Amino acid sequence: MSQKINRRKFLQSSAALAAASVAAPGSQASESGKTVEAPAIGRHFSSPAPLPAQKGPRVVIVGAGWSGLTMAKYLKKFASDFDVVLLDRKEQFVSCPISNAWIANQVDLEFLTHSYVDAAKNNGYLFISAMAIDLDRAGKTLYTTEGAITYDYLVMAPGIDYDYARIGVEDPEVEQQLRMHYPAGFNSASEVMAIKHKIENFDGGTLLMTVPTGNYRCMAAPYERACMAAAVMKQRRVKGKILLLDGNNGIRIKADGFRRAFSEYYADIIEYESSAEITDIHLEDREIETEFDNYQFDDAVIYPPIRASRVLENFRLADPASPQKEAAIDPYKYHLLDDEHVYVTGDSRSQPFSKSGNTAHSEAKYVAEVIIAHARGEEIAWRSPQTMCFSGVKTDPLESMSIIAFYKFDEMEKSFAFDRVHLMEKWSQRSGQAGLAWAEGMFRDMFYS
Amino acid sequence: MWLFQWSAVLLTTALLSHSVIAAETMTIELTFTPDLNNGRHVYETCAACHLPEGWGSSDGAYPQIAGQHPYVLLKQLLDIRDGHRENSIMYPFVQVRTIGSYQSLIDVVTYITRMPMHPRHKQGPYNDFSDEYRQGKQLYQQYCASCHEDDGRGKDEARIPKLYGQHYPYVMRQVGLIRKGLRDVDPVMKGIVDQLSREELELIVNYVSWLEIPEGEKAPSAGWRNTDFY
Ligand SMILES: Cc1cc2nc3c(=O)[nH]c(=O)nc-3n(C[C@H](O)[C@H](O)[C@H](O)COP(=O)(O)OP(=O)(O)OC[C@H]3O[C@@H](n4cnc5c(N)ncnc54)[C@H](O)[C@@H]3O)c2cc1C
Repeated sequence: MSQKINRRKFLQSSAALAAASVAAPGSQASESGKTVEAPAIGRHFSSPAPLPAQKGPRVVIVGAGWSGLTMAKYLKKFASDFDVVLLDRKEQFVSCPISNAWIANQVDLEFLTHSYVDAAKNNGYLFISAMAIDLDRAGKTLYTTEGAITYDYLVMAPGIDYDYARIGVEDPEVEQQLRMHYPAGFNSASEVMAIKHKIENFDGGTLLMTVPTGNYRCMAAPYERACMAAAVMKQRRVKGKILLLDGNNGIRIKADGFRRAFSEYYADIIEYESSAEITDIHLEDREIETEFDNYQFDDAVIYPPIRASRVLENFRLADPASPQKEAAIDPYKYHLLDDEHVYVTGDSRSQPFSKSGNTAHSEAKYVAEVIIAHARGEEIAWRSPQTMCFSGVKTDPLESMSIIAFYKFDEMEKSFAFDRVHLMEKWSQRSGQAGLAWAEGMFRDMFYS
Repeated sequence: MWLFQWSAVLLTTALLSHSVIAAETMTIELTFTPDLNNGRHVYETCAACHLPEGWGSSDGAYPQIAGQHPYVLLKQLLDIRDGHRENSIMYPFVQVRTIGSYQSLIDVVTYITRMPMHPRHKQGPYNDFSDEYRQGKQLYQQYCASCHEDDGRGKDEARIPKLYGQHYPYVMRQVGLIRKGLRDVDPVMKGIVDQLSREELELIVNYVSWLEIPEGEKAPSAGWRNTDFY
């Protein structure tokens, strides 16, 4: 392992300590039990990050996911005089979209993996691999594990975190066990990898999969994943079933299509139960409790409800009244209600848009223009993000169905609602290919050109 | 032995006259008979974004492609495939591995050409009673009509697109990209766009969005659905 990685590891662990000392100045015990000089660490992080001298208005973006990558690219494309800094705690990008197809070996891991360095080089902005740990809005300064960065505009695009408390899990140790043994696979590549491994090695019995309630990440993906996993089981001729427990009172999206796929291809594998909201989990007995029933399982993929990334809360940006702990932002312009220099986008936004990559991508292009317009004292008209999502239902070759939808503000409901929904539930090989081409186009756009 | 020397001589001549050889272009003409049924099949690759009706989106994110001229469509597809028109998102869709060979391109283009247009595409802010409309009309006739025609029907043989029926925000966006040098177009078009002010362009694009779509090219209503796909 290179020295650089070791140094980063060190920085990350000290970052965790620094974060703890920021959150609770009283607690200063380190892992080894020795007390840590909090102020010294504080000083270390408040020295400026090693960045080239600032040219033009600086936009700092936290999170290099679908939202952050698109934002950085289009800020530079539409306003080359801007100084754009993108940061992520991860070193490389592995896509969540299409990872279900990867689980069923319809694409390889390389298809999903891309380099932040390429993205920054090809699009003329700066990428740093660092974790954002604190924010001083008055001083327009973001503190990171690589040092302090001042900004003119800050974009928070940190994605989501799981909310295990909403399925009755309060004990952090139980949560840890769940994350380790029954990962949800809706946030990072390592979780998805664990799930792929599980499915490839499942040797019979009941594989439990769950669908959360609320506005969870990627409406269709838990159903798609059940199809992909069932396809693998069918191929491996495993004698077992997938128990798909849905907390909602029916399939949330592309319902006819998924229902048809379950019965046409996977009738002997997928058992679907709706209105099965999890109320408790007994790990030692491998048992899950819902309001109406208890279910036993041999292995599981448990997807709890989600919330906006914890970093919003740590930065005191989360709206306490929001059930998914999102920030209170202007629904058209995305800035905090009390600060036109801090924006929240992507899956941690508070508008009820579908939490999907295409939504985040189209939205980020628009918000990039909003920020440029703000810097120039102009205004631009609101544009709806677009949600587009392909779901694989059958493999070898991959066959998919798709949906595209836009949003409009419903004055009666005082909220956004779907507008112009086009649902194509007739799955086909062409659509399977189109789904892969969609992802490839997105990767091209975010990383290469 | 002799043969070998002879070919060596030929090679030398070829190298010497390299510049002459390079200047000659070769044209291959291929003829295809469109297969509409396959076109419908191929269109599934396009439908998720351009919609089963080919009507695009009123916010201009996707153009209305239904009813556009075949050579205009084909030119766009090939330009994107060859990197002459930068469009990263569309790029993978027009590769041979996704959409298919020339035959498939011809088939799908023919299918799209025959789709009825959205009868209520997104129009600009100034209607046909306004002063702005009249100013736009005058500018259009002065700068655009010689290529795009008075009624905005374009010229297929010359790859000049049909303008009527296109969503106003889409045309605005394209004109903006051309101005900033982010979309390569024919030099004449570029020259004209560069000559006009932002306000003049807006008036022209507004006028264009109010051009009538001929009756025979429109779908019966905005609620019409392409049942090939639902
Ligand atoms: C299995 C699966 C299938 C899906 N399928 C589809 C699909 O077919 N189509 C579709 O459109 N969408 C799909 N999605 C949804 C899509 O992945 C998300 O909506 C999208 O990733 C949201 O983008 P984002 O930028 O908001 O968040 P993310 O992509 O999660 O990015 C957030 C980034 O912020 C970083 N970060 C967080 N905190 C910090 C910090 N403190 N400091 C530094 N960095 C930080 C994280 O490391 C992360 O890289 C799918 C998701 C999953 C899991």
